[in-house]
Amino acid sequence: MYIIVVGGGNVGYGLALELQQMPDHEVTIVELGGRRAGQLHAELGEMVVHGDGSEIAFLERVGAGRADLVIACTADDGANLVASQVAKHWFHVKRTIARVNDPRNEALFLRLGVDSIVSAAGAVLAQIEATLPEHTIIPLMALEGSGLHIVDMRVHERSPAAGHALRDLEFPPQVLVSVIIGAGGARVPDGDTVLQPGDEVIAVIPSDSDAVVRAMIASPSEGA
Amino acid sequence: MRVLIMGCGRVGAGLATQLADEGHQVTVIDIDAFAFQRLLPEFSGTRLIGSGTDDRTLLEAGIREADCFVAVATGDNRNILASQKAKEMYGVKQVVTRVKDPLRSELFGRLGLRTFSPTKVGVELAHDAVFGVGA
Repeated sequence: MYIIVVGGGNVGYGLALELQQMPDHEVTIVELGGRRAGQLHAELGEMVVHGDGSEIAFLERVGAGRADLVIACTADDGANLVASQVAKHWFHVKRTIARVNDPRNEALFLRLGVDSIVSAAGAVLAQIEATLPEHTIIPLMALEGSGLHIVDMRVHERSPAAGHALRDLEFPPQVLVSVIIGAGGARVPDGDTVLQPGDEVIAVIPSDSDAVVRAMIASPSEGA
Repeated sequence: MRVLIMGCGRVGAGLATQLADEGHQVTVIDIDAFAFQRLLPEFSGTRLIGSGTDDRTLLEAGIREADCFVAVATGDNRNILASQKAKEMYGVKQVVTRVKDPLRSELFGRLGLRTFSPTKVGVELAHDAVFGVGA
């Protein structure tokens, strides 16, 4: 697989090191800054090319026409969006991944056909939320195209769901409680499984159902 | 017509002045307050400091009510990002985008923006001038 990484900052550099370890991958890193490109070239060699990854003529020279994947991970959302769109619509690259620096750009990127987005702010937020004690629902992973995502939460002792079997709970459609991690370790629940306070619940839920699911499982019931 | 102009360089300032003189309601956005010096003190439009790619700035500039968005800031990618945002997220009917790179201009023209490339136009003018065309 031929992969072009646009942006040789910390993210692009780390990514290139990872990809380089995998056999059967050919990787090119494109870096706009001359000094940075020089440093990277000294360390990583010919895979590093100095140029503008959003410029069509330049991408042509690094073989974008035969690329299977373009990953745009600069600190500049404009550059990431344009590099992805150029890859997709000019070179017909099968798959594009873009880093989104401003979370408010996420919807625009997806709407304009970037196949996958990686939101640095979103990831940092999720990590911080994971360290908060309670009442939270932590998004683990988006399931693209389905409108679903995988979330992690803890059963609050005074939540509406605590002490009840799954079959008695009225979740919104498409909520799938997948794994419960309790005192006895991880198990796949069935309808008879009772949610115990403190259990960790991993579920697949519609992306717009966070508030409902949180209120049922991870928060004290109203008036409690 | 309510027009939002991103970038108060020579082109942005010139266009803003002309549109305001023609009676249009103009707001000019630039990240650098110094750029507004290119506008005459009697300019009747609004000057707004901020980034045209930033949603907060766009909303403050009234993007939801704008009839037209013109992106003539320095970077091609910033112009393209802001223009697509204006068109796709805020439903601005008429979006005009300066893209210096001729190939990128062509591509985003195909993708639905009304782009123009001053590089391409400049090459054509210079070429014609070399051969005395239009002299």
